[in-house]
Amino acid sequence: MRRPRIVDVVVTVGFVLALCSAGAIQTFIELCRGQRLQALDIFRQKPSAANVRAYEKNLEDFSWVSQKLRHRMQYLQYVMLNDAGEKALPGLDGWMFYKPGVEYLVAGGRAITKAKVGPDPLAAIAEFQDELALRGIRLLVVPVPNKESVYPEKLTSRAANLHGIRSGQTSDLLDRLSLAGVETVDLFAEFAQAKQRQTNPADGPLYLVQDSHWSPSGVAVAARAVVSRLLNRGWIGLGSVSYDTKLAPVQRIGDVLRMLQVPEIEQTASPESISCLQVIHPDSGMPYRDDPESEILVIGDSFLRIYETDEPESAGLIAHLAKELKRPLTSLVSDGGASTLVRQELYRRPALLKNKRVVIWEFVERDIEFGAEGWQIIPLPPVPSGTVEKSSGENGP
Amino acid sequence: MVFSSYIFLFYFLPLVLLIYYALPWLIRSLGKSEDILSRSRNGFLLVMSYVFYGWWNPWFILLMLLVTTVNYLCGKMMAAPGASPRRRFVGVTLAVAISLGTLGFFKYFMFFQTNLNQMLSWVGVEGLPVLQIILPMGISFYTFHALSYSIDVFRRQAPPVRSFADFACYISLYPQLVAGPIIRYNTVADQLVQRTHTWDKFASGVSLFILGLSKKVLLANPIGGIADAAFNAHSLQASDAWFGVTAYAFQIYFDFSGYSDMAVGLGRMIGFEFMKNFDSPYLADGITDFWRRWHISLSTFLRDYLYIPLGGNRKGPRRTYLNLTIVMLLGGLWHGANWTFIAWGAYHGLLLAFERYLGKESIYHRLPRPGRIGITFVLILFSWVLFRSPTLGDAGHYLGGMLGLVGGDGHPVLVAAQLYGRGQWILMALGAGILLSPFRAHDWSRTVTWPKALALVPALVLAVMAMCSQAFNPFLYFQF
Repeated sequence: MRRPRIVDVVVTVGFVLALCSAGAIQTFIELCRGQRLQALDIFRQKPSAANVRAYEKNLEDFSWVSQKLRHRMQYLQYVMLNDAGEKALPGLDGWMFYKPGVEYLVAGGRAITKAKVGPDPLAAIAEFQDELALRGIRLLVVPVPNKESVYPEKLTSRAANLHGIRSGQTSDLLDRLSLAGVETVDLFAEFAQAKQRQTNPADGPLYLVQDSHWSPSGVAVAARAVVSRLLNRGWIGLGSVSYDTKLAPVQRIGDVLRMLQVPEIEQTASPESISCLQVIHPDSGMPYRDDPESEILVIGDSFLRIYETDEPESAGLIAHLAKELKRPLTSLVSDGGASTLVRQELYRRPALLKNKRVVIWEFVERDIEFGAEGWQIIPLPPVPSGTVEKSSGENGP
Repeated sequence: MVFSSYIFLFYFLPLVLLIYYALPWLIRSLGKSEDILSRSRNGFLLVMSYVFYGWWNPWFILLMLLVTTVNYLCGKMMAAPGASPRRRFVGVTLAVAISLGTLGFFKYFMFFQTNLNQMLSWVGVEGLPVLQIILPMGISFYTFHALSYSIDVFRRQAPPVRSFADFACYISLYPQLVAGPIIRYNTVADQLVQRTHTWDKFASGVSLFILGLSKKVLLANPIGGIADAAFNAHSLQASDAWFGVTAYAFQIYFDFSGYSDMAVGLGRMIGFEFMKNFDSPYLADGITDFWRRWHISLSTFLRDYLYIPLGGNRKGPRRTYLNLTIVMLLGGLWHGANWTFIAWGAYHGLLLAFERYLGKESIYHRLPRPGRIGITFVLILFSWVLFRSPTLGDAGHYLGGMLGLVGGDGHPVLVAAQLYGRGQWILMALGAGILLSPFRAHDWSRTVTWPKALALVPALVLAVMAMCSQAFNPFLYFQF
């Protein structure tokens, strides 16, 4: 028999050792930590397809080797290929975009990698409006443009001459909402005008550079547009609380950067300096707080949460709506869940509708296609005892 | 289980290799013969292959077992001493009918029902509810493996298998089970009984496996993102559409040839030698040449088990053209129950028939070789649009984009952000460089040298790192 060549032996043994290393290291770590051996979990459950999938996923997700390698590779890809992974898309001048938002805009309703979310948003919105109307409550719908809809020129140099894009799918929904008699605020037009008006670079863009959300300037534009619509329609009048504002600068690593889950990138990135205007009570100087007895309920997603419950607090859309309306509001926020989850939460908390005359429903544009749990029809919660329902015509236009 | 997954690479494969190579010690320590060793190794591979296959859905194993049993019994019927020609014919007919019947039901019944309902709706008749059938992974491949056995035994081109375990091992052998190469029984019959295990064979298997893994996770997966962006776009500029379909051409080559390399490499690690499935297909200078280089195991299977039985080129030119078209149509349908695959097969069939009409030459055969390669590649790109698109309508939409017929409404410019980043250019350039180079992974890995071994180390490290950082990304050919 021919004597084996050393290189063949080295390659063979080296390869087998490399294959064995991950399992051996994981076993060693688990034994040292006194944990149960995860690899043996397969023998602890019925071998169904679902169990096997879950086992495989856990094995990889909790693997020490996999965890160590994963973010190093992502960092390498980011540095060498400018590839920001599954969720982020680097734009120009340091701008980062949330990839599903770009996909929503580019695909324009065609089936894309993620499963489509199901029922038509119009049906859910119209049903919600009808049910609210039965209680004498008005609905104002506020779709928030994706960042890339407002700043396409920051995504690619090809869009240098475009100052705003509206997805065909978004336009279609807005048109159909209008035909169905649903009142909407067109923030696309408002933001386009605001961009054109911005001549001073110090004003800053309407969206954050590293984040998928709007900036304080964007919040201010949206708040003014919503309040203007409410007042014009006569649905609600100005209150009597003259809120004040104070400058509240914050430093923030954008959510798109954090989505990469690569510590090296977060550590090297400079936080974005954001000049927020915190809404404060004129007498006490205390930050704005919601009032459950308010006549206005605001529901929505993280576009309501940013600056409001995040740093610096009371500087988000809710507080600025309150300031413009001179009255406190009630709010309900569900991160990423404005399509269905927030209404499910509302169903569980009927007291939130107490005394309400107006509901403002904010959702981000991409949720038209990707909203978590789709656009289910969710009934309103039962009327709390002791509350009298108003007829639909009581607050007619 | 996917070759490019954490569980396969770090748990399944080392477990299989360690036990497989520990078996001789065990057998010798029990004082058993060498014949027992071969049988026990095949038995062990059979068990592990069933685990590998059952990982998708344990119930699928039963179907594979059914196809295996039917073909085994039919093989016994045909190979029985003194079996009459009639008995042999009945045996092969049963094997073919049951195997293709099973494939037809699981792969094409829904397609048939959907189209029947569509036709009924044209005449105002309400259709029947469509039976929802899950397509078992790899059914097209293992059905062909089983058929090749029955037909080879019928033709007396291969001896009947010595045991059911050996036969079940051949059908289910995990390296080539779910996406080929399509291994014909007569090419591995001897290896099932006796095969050599040497350090150099194992090392060459390792090197081919690493190259295949690298093709898949370092090239096919990221380039696939470019293709996805283009094919998912609502509207495209012509340049974007061409760039996108070129990316898909790269993706499907690196994905499928990567899988084949890994399969052949894994086979070598356990002593098997499987056929080469790709031979620089994008350097083909005509469609006939392309099919000598692309998915060779399928094209030779179709040639030997379909084209030649249909009469091949023995019944005159017209019949030859018809046979070519029929074979490619069925080859298209084999890929999936969708009109897009049928159109893809028809397109290739017509091109092949036309080249046959010209004497196995392309119409552009007088051009210099780079020109011939370029035109062939463009013809292939059109076919990939059919292959990649979910419906014929989508294919038409995309082809319209390539020809500049799909209007832009502002959004096409955003596709650029997904297509033309620094990383995308680097990957496409790297892909093009490899495709145009004389590099052949199959041949390169035959003998491992120190420089090659040193080159494999970073390839493996990078591939494993990329694998750990990527989402689940099965091979494109798993769907077939």
